[in-house]
Amino acid sequence: MKKEKQKGTHKVLWGFIYVGAFLATFAVSAVVKLTADPTGGKFKAEWNDSVGTVYTDLTYGEKPANKFDLYVPADSSKDSYGLVVYLHPGGFTTGDKSGDAEMLQGLCSKGYVAAGINYTLFTEENPDANVYTQSMEIKESMPYVVAEAEKLGYHIGEMAVGGGSAGHCLAMLYAYRDADTSPVPVRMVFGAVGPSSFYPEDWTNYGFDKDTAEAREGAAGLFSVMCGAALTPDMFGTPEYDEAVKPVSALLWVDENTVPSLMAYGAYDTMQPYLASVRLDKALTEYGVPHDYIVCEHSGHGLQNDNEQYIEYMRKLVEYLDTYLPV
Amino acid sequence: MTLTQKRFIILLIVVVAGAVLGRLAVRAVMNLLLGGTLFGGNFL
Repeated sequence: MKKEKQKGTHKVLWGFIYVGAFLATFAVSAVVKLTADPTGGKFKAEWNDSVGTVYTDLTYGEKPANKFDLYVPADSSKDSYGLVVYLHPGGFTTGDKSGDAEMLQGLCSKGYVAAGINYTLFTEENPDANVYTQSMEIKESMPYVVAEAEKLGYHIGEMAVGGGSAGHCLAMLYAYRDADTSPVPVRMVFGAVGPSSFYPEDWTNYGFDKDTAEAREGAAGLFSVMCGAALTPDMFGTPEYDEAVKPVSALLWVDENTVPSLMAYGAYDTMQPYLASVRLDKALTEYGVPHDYIVCEHSGHGLQNDNEQYIEYMRKLVEYLDTYLPV
Repeated sequence: MTLTQKRFIILLIVVVAGAVLGRLAVRAVMNLLLGGTLFGGNFL
């Protein structure tokens, strides 16, 4: 009787051990998956005073968000420096330059002057902000960024611009639309998952490709807010529409003079249209623009399921910088 | 095979299942938020 009772106790005890072991490994494995660096720390740079210095919240305009951080290398003995601007993601509605500190530190550690620039986000407090106003703020910020670097003793000879998601969209607009007005020559653009055009048939992620009045109204509504222009469904497919969205469509500025472009996109992106990137790749190819188009075939907006392609993107970035903006 | 051996084999299976399902659960949630496929690409 006593032996049977002991056997039963053992069974219960092992039952608890199994459940505990399952929950513990489940939790640890989930945390590791969430926090692991897909590159295995390969592109992470050491950051301290011997590498460089960061000057934060420098002003470039009158709006509260018109601030930038400037990362300058410790070695200030060179005649000229390349500037790399990296614009933060956040769907045009959120985010901050501080979120890209690791990327900016990495660029600075390679010998570049690096800058992270904030822009006025589309929020309840700023309902008039849109992709166009944000792109214009970026354009206005560049002379201030270059002047600040010069003031600190770093002469800027040329630059590259990049970003993630919304930041990539703004980076492409600057490189393709505003490069002619840049205080220093723009040599290349890089980034991931940035929307580059506003054709409803490409925006399958929001169902705007459907041939219904609701879909067309939805597309016109969203694109009007994003572009800061009054767009109506009957404009789709007309030259008038292209003209209206051109100020915020990087694609429509691509020509034979477009700077070399490195870009990565997720084929299952639910936040921005993957098909727009196919269109952009086609345009860059047609105009003979040196570019690399990396597609993460199993990923969405975070390029989260294709480490191999993500590492390739980072490796290509180093290669692009070495080629087009040598230190 | 002794009972203890059997228990350790079950424990090993439970640990492997926990590790696999933990990663898969994160991938599923990320895919819901950002888009993506449940299989293919990275190992889990």
